[in-house]
Amino acid sequence: MIEVEDLVYEYPTARALKGVSLTVADQTITALVGPNGAGKTTLLRCLAALEDPYSGRVVIDGLDTTQKAREIHARMGYLPDFYGLYDDLTVRRCLTYAARSHGIASALAAAAVQKAAGRVGLLDRLESKAGELSRGLRQRLAIGQSIVHEPHVLLLDEPAAGLDPQARRDLSTLLIQLRDGGMTLVVSSHILAELEDYCSEMIIIENGLIAGGKAIKVRDDARPRYMIELATARSDLKDFLAARGADVVEADQNHALIVFTRNAGARAKLVRELVTAGFDVASFAESSKALEDAYFAQVGHGR
Amino acid sequence: MNPEFERNLWLELTPRRVALMVGVLALIFFAAALVGNEWTPSGAASALYYLIVVVWGSRSAALSVVGEIRDRTWDGQRLSSLSAGTMMWGKLFGATIYNWLGGAICLTLILVDVAVHQGALAAVIEGLFHVGIGIIAQSAALLASLMAIGRRQSHSRFEIFIYQMIGLVAALLVYYAWSAADPASSLILHAPPTDFVTWWGITIDARLFFLNSIEIFAGWTLLGCYREMRLELKMHNGPLVWLAFLAFMGIYVAGFDAWLSSDLKTWDPVALRLLLAGITFAALTYVMVLLEPKDRVFYRWMLGQIRHGHIARALSGMQAWMMSYWAAFAVAGALFLWLLLHDMQAAVVGQPLVLATMGFITRDVSIFVLMQTLPGKRRGDFAALAILFALYVLFPSILAGLQAFAGLILLYPQLPAPSWTGVIVAWIEGASIAALALGRLALTDEKGKTVPI
Repeated sequence: MIEVEDLVYEYPTARALKGVSLTVADQTITALVGPNGAGKTTLLRCLAALEDPYSGRVVIDGLDTTQKAREIHARMGYLPDFYGLYDDLTVRRCLTYAARSHGIASALAAAAVQKAAGRVGLLDRLESKAGELSRGLRQRLAIGQSIVHEPHVLLLDEPAAGLDPQARRDLSTLLIQLRDGGMTLVVSSHILAELEDYCSEMIIIENGLIAGGKAIKVRDDARPRYMIELATARSDLKDFLAARGADVVEADQNHALIVFTRNAGARAKLVRELVTAGFDVASFAESSKALEDAYFAQVGHGR
Repeated sequence: MNPEFERNLWLELTPRRVALMVGVLALIFFAAALVGNEWTPSGAASALYYLIVVVWGSRSAALSVVGEIRDRTWDGQRLSSLSAGTMMWGKLFGATIYNWLGGAICLTLILVDVAVHQGALAAVIEGLFHVGIGIIAQSAALLASLMAIGRRQSHSRFEIFIYQMIGLVAALLVYYAWSAADPASSLILHAPPTDFVTWWGITIDARLFFLNSIEIFAGWTLLGCYREMRLELKMHNGPLVWLAFLAFMGIYVAGFDAWLSSDLKTWDPVALRLLLAGITFAALTYVMVLLEPKDRVFYRWMLGQIRHGHIARALSGMQAWMMSYWAAFAVAGALFLWLLLHDMQAAVVGQPLVLATMGFITRDVSIFVLMQTLPGKRRGDFAALAILFALYVLFPSILAGLQAFAGLILLYPQLPAPSWTGVIVAWIEGASIAALALGRLALTDEKGKTVPI
């Protein structure tokens, strides 16, 4: 689990994080989103125990980053937005070094390398030099290096930047596998659509603060988000939906974004009641842009 | 095997590179043997040793961490679970392993030659000296690069050249000291050889003294690398090691009182040794205030800790220049009292001199801190150095040209007749600039309001 309490981080002439508090539950994938310069990378580096906060606390698996940085590093994987590889080493040696430098014994390193290479789809490239790999394959190798020691927490800063659609899909699948395998992931990105596939929580950071004050649950299989569209404007749409057990995320006279039970009977009943009450329902569908909707709903509220 | 060392072996000792080094050296030695006369394989080996291990090795050491930052692999290494010691040894001897390969080949020839002509003991001493100078040069370059990384300055070729130069300067100092004790030194230095060194009143064989000094300073340099590496790996360093280094340096330098000029030899011996220790601490204050990062955020944090009564936490975070400054202050106080109690004649000059010096040191270190708080390109150590140049060189020259010698009292302690007015002036300057620097450390928000510490 990641716990952040009133985290303040300062640069010489500016305060980048102004009292961030958040909790990231185990075995979740949390999106860290926000505009350029909002403080995403600074927050990730504080979570990775690479930067000391000015005040406040970051606790990873019960360990304080300012007290037990090296213990945290041993159980942490971090892929920065701009990373480098040892271009003159083979993929096998890059992964072996990553494994050995994370405390995996020589005898066990080969197995760890095979497993990590298999996870990122580089088994057939083990003897290729890192400098000879394409951008997508380099990204895979970098991710492989950060997971070779099976970290408890994995932090990824813009992991899909520069990847082709197939590689992005592979990345989504891998991240879900890692979460299901027990890892806790925090993924920073500008591109909300790429986070949509695998993130269940979202932290919006804006001007050094968490917008809304906490992480937002964006994916709940039992209570998904639905978008309702009306052909004729009605000012009472929001109140009508709220009175029938829907959590209204956002609404105007023509549209409503709600969180509602997945139960088909309940959904059919809600549609029926809308129609009976004279609402011209043009569409009622599960939102395919849950993250984006939640982001703009939250950022909109903040403005 | 140390994983960092092993990784460097993979990169540095490829079969092709090893063959190249062995082949080139063999060719050079063969050529030297053919030419004959003053050229011998061992002579060539000696020159090549310095070139490969000291000159080139310093650059390899300087690049060992800076290269990782430049290639964006350093964060990955910082996130490893390697200890600071493992990382430091792996970098220092891993990044320079190719240089040590060439150095080992050269050293073998040198030692065989010394053993044949001067005996086994001479060969052992020569071997220790050569390895020591190599380690000092490389570790000094690594230390300089690590300190620069702490200052977030480390990437350009010029900066890497500076770190290499620091390694070379360290090696030159060692070489100079060693040569001074060499019976053949007059050929190189045009100076009579020093057979014996008087230290703390004891006469010691010069070569033995310098050899031990070299090994001890190599140890301190390696310890410095280790501690800087700890900081990079987000581990905390307490103040004890630097305090121990200050104590060592104070004792080491104070032992050279016999080397002082005859003007000061009228002083009490204890006062002389206190003076030497104080000068050493003052010099270390200047060196460290220049080298250490003067991070406004850190200073704000320290002030916050003091304001909230967490004095022990603030003291444990003191930088080396601060400890050196307070050590100089303590020794200055001790010297002041000693002169008062034991040597009133020397006290007439010594007391105002000591107090004025501390006032000007306070002014100078405050200038370094103040210059970090200025916005944009005006900020930095270069500006501080320029001001000190003006204070100690430029303005005195102008005042001297104008025959306005009384004005010098504003710039630095006056010898041979320091006055109490000079003490007052020095402390007014020191306190004013210190207050200005502390005032400018505060952070303001977008509306210009001061953010509370």
